[in-house]
Amino acid sequence: MRVQQHPVLTFERGARITFLFDGQPVEAYEGETIVAALHAAGIWKLSESPAKHRPRGLFCAIGHCSSCLMTVDGVPNVRTCVTRARQGMVVVSQQPRGDLG
Amino acid sequence: MKRLDVLVIGGGPAGISAAIAAGKMGLEVVLLEEREFLGGQLVKQTHRFFGSKEEHAGVRGIDIVTELTATLSGMPNVSTWLEATALGLYEDGVVTVLHQGRMHKFLPRSIVAATGAFERFLPFENNDLPGVFGAGAVQTLMNMYGVKPAQKVLMVGSGNIGLIVSYQLIQAGVEVVAVLEAAGNIGGYLVHASKLRRLGVPILTHYTVQKAIGTSEVEGAIAVRLDDRWNPVEGSEILFPCDAICLATGLSPLGEILSQAGCQVKYVPELGGDVPVRDENLQTTRPGVFVAGDLAGIEEATAAMLEGELAGLGAARTVLSQRASPWSEEDLEKRVQDLKQKLSGLRAGPVGEKIRKGLGRLRPAGESGEDVPEKKPSPQDQPPLEELWKTGIPTPSQLQRKLPEEARKQPRPFAVVECFQQIPCDPCVQSCPVGAIAPFSTINDIPQVDFARCTGCGNCIARCPGLAIFVVGYQPEKGKATVSLPYELLPRPKKGQVVEVLDRAGRVAGEGTVLSVLDSPRMDRTAVVKVEVDPELAMEVRMVRCPVENVNAQETQQEHLAQPNEEEWAQDPTLPGDDTIVCRCEDVTLGQIRELIQKGFTTIEEIKHVSRCGMGPCQGKTCSPIIAREIARITGKPLDQVKPAKTRPPFGGILFEEVVRSEEESDGGEAYEA
Repeated sequence: MRVQQHPVLTFERGARITFLFDGQPVEAYEGETIVAALHAAGIWKLSESPAKHRPRGLFCAIGHCSSCLMTVDGVPNVRTCVTRARQGMVVVSQQPRGDLG
Repeated sequence: MKRLDVLVIGGGPAGISAAIAAGKMGLEVVLLEEREFLGGQLVKQTHRFFGSKEEHAGVRGIDIVTELTATLSGMPNVSTWLEATALGLYEDGVVTVLHQGRMHKFLPRSIVAATGAFERFLPFENNDLPGVFGAGAVQTLMNMYGVKPAQKVLMVGSGNIGLIVSYQLIQAGVEVVAVLEAAGNIGGYLVHASKLRRLGVPILTHYTVQKAIGTSEVEGAIAVRLDDRWNPVEGSEILFPCDAICLATGLSPLGEILSQAGCQVKYVPELGGDVPVRDENLQTTRPGVFVAGDLAGIEEATAAMLEGELAGLGAARTVLSQRASPWSEEDLEKRVQDLKQKLSGLRAGPVGEKIRKGLGRLRPAGESGEDVPEKKPSPQDQPPLEELWKTGIPTPSQLQRKLPEEARKQPRPFAVVECFQQIPCDPCVQSCPVGAIAPFSTINDIPQVDFARCTGCGNCIARCPGLAIFVVGYQPEKGKATVSLPYELLPRPKKGQVVEVLDRAGRVAGEGTVLSVLDSPRMDRTAVVKVEVDPELAMEVRMVRCPVENVNAQETQQEHLAQPNEEEWAQDPTLPGDDTIVCRCEDVTLGQIRELIQKGFTTIEEIKHVSRCGMGPCQGKTCSPIIAREIARITGKPLDQVKPAKTRPPFGGILFEEVVRSEEESDGGEAYEA
């Protein structure tokens, strides 16, 4: 869900783009982070914890906790809360850890 | 190897101010910022700042960033490196930096570290479910990207962050079901609390979150009341249906690069945790390394900017001792003294008491304090606040002090300044065109209205950062009264519209007719709504509600002052269960930590070795404060004697590829020339 109107802020959103998350197309605006777009699309589960396989969601959003690590265009452990979404990007959630393959 | 004069690590309010200060001295400065933009947490702060005019008072945080970066961009000798993370600071003074995929080495003559803070995680059942967010994350989503974090949020923590973020959630069209506060009093500024209360948000003191409900995402939360000894009271549980729990339970200073570099660090609960020991010029125990902002102690952005300038000047002086300075030593010293005085002034009031105490602990015994003693408030300044601290709603007797005598109540309208707490803030004084709000003797004074002068013009309403000023007018000939109030929500009421009028607790007090809605660029997005009501409601009505709740609702179908006392927390018998997650990265539970402590592992370092807590990608930022408190609780040691874990570079993730590439390319592989 997105904020359509705000009493203080104006959101200058970039061009509409699409990337793939676990095979599903997700719409985003250029300039926003992968996580912001996922959250707007209602996707809250970002990863699974390594031992107990518990669902993990966004926690800090400033690249300091480990909850949002994903494989982006083949690179594992990318901090998706501080990485901008790009057209055609392939984002794969890590269940639980990244793998160089 | 890049040689330079001053390296500033961190591009938030403190770091930018430091870079500007050193830049003004004509030095070669590099400012490193981890993210793609400058401003740190300021970029999410939509509210107006407190403080005095020279320190951006009354300006919204988002606009302060614009002012600061404009100054910076006019300085050719200061270069800003974005997406640049300082990975380590070594014995020989070299700082390794990862910048857009390449590793660089810097050899600065002096350093200002302003790396900020990290949000505290809280142990409770299911605390790791998606939907449990840090307050900063919530702000990032809604204020930077315009994404609604959730539909219904339970806020945990009533410090300024918890109160401000709750208000911002409502501005974004999100419902805030309640604000919980484990302590007995509201932690943040009372004006922020009052803003929430009149929108109908309950603030529950002596309450904490016990459990998040849900299996894949948060579906609700159970709150529980704590007695005076912090024990949960059986049967006091409240179930809140909500899809998010927002944690605003404090910040921990992020000074890992300093402890790694050998700067002495001390545990000071009043400053938020482990902070660097420094002198009054903000120089750490490692000469040439200065600190500013939240990493030096959790405070708010105004203090961070002042500290930034002070640290920047200190760093510049270190370099300038060998060189001609554009400023005379006399002028420089004057500015330094001026900054110190401003910081002292800011911290002089009751809300600064904690900071003063914390700073006192950093000073060697016997050394005189840098802070001015607290001004003794006169009884008139300081009405008893007990009830207000718990509810955010002033009592009738407190309000009575804010009103004119009966004879002055008609015919001219008059300003009611519902500001009861000594906080560092004075825009109201500047805003009055007739001087009816007397100039302050200190920034922490409480405004006093001279009703003989007040014309009821309402200029002050939109200028008060706390939205605490109202103008009341009685019109006996019409049998009506008018209330003018600040309004920062959508939709805006319209002239002639009949609206519900709300009291200070957000209850519907009746109906009113909107007479005018004033908005001008000078009012900077705070509208003033004038509503006509029955005279007996004039001192009750402080908010209006438009028929459509919120425009954003249509889609779905919209500094850090008080924290629970650490020492008490350590003895807190509110024990979360063994299954509670302590380490999000490595899935370590409180039960595992307890078992290790019982076995004799009583330092964070030892626990890290056996449990992997702190070895995950967050490098212990999330788990360390919780583990420290658990060690203190079980062993009975005071928190300042729980040894922190050793910090080692690199701080932040770096790919082997990036290291190798840098070594192969020129500068990284170059031998260090002494």
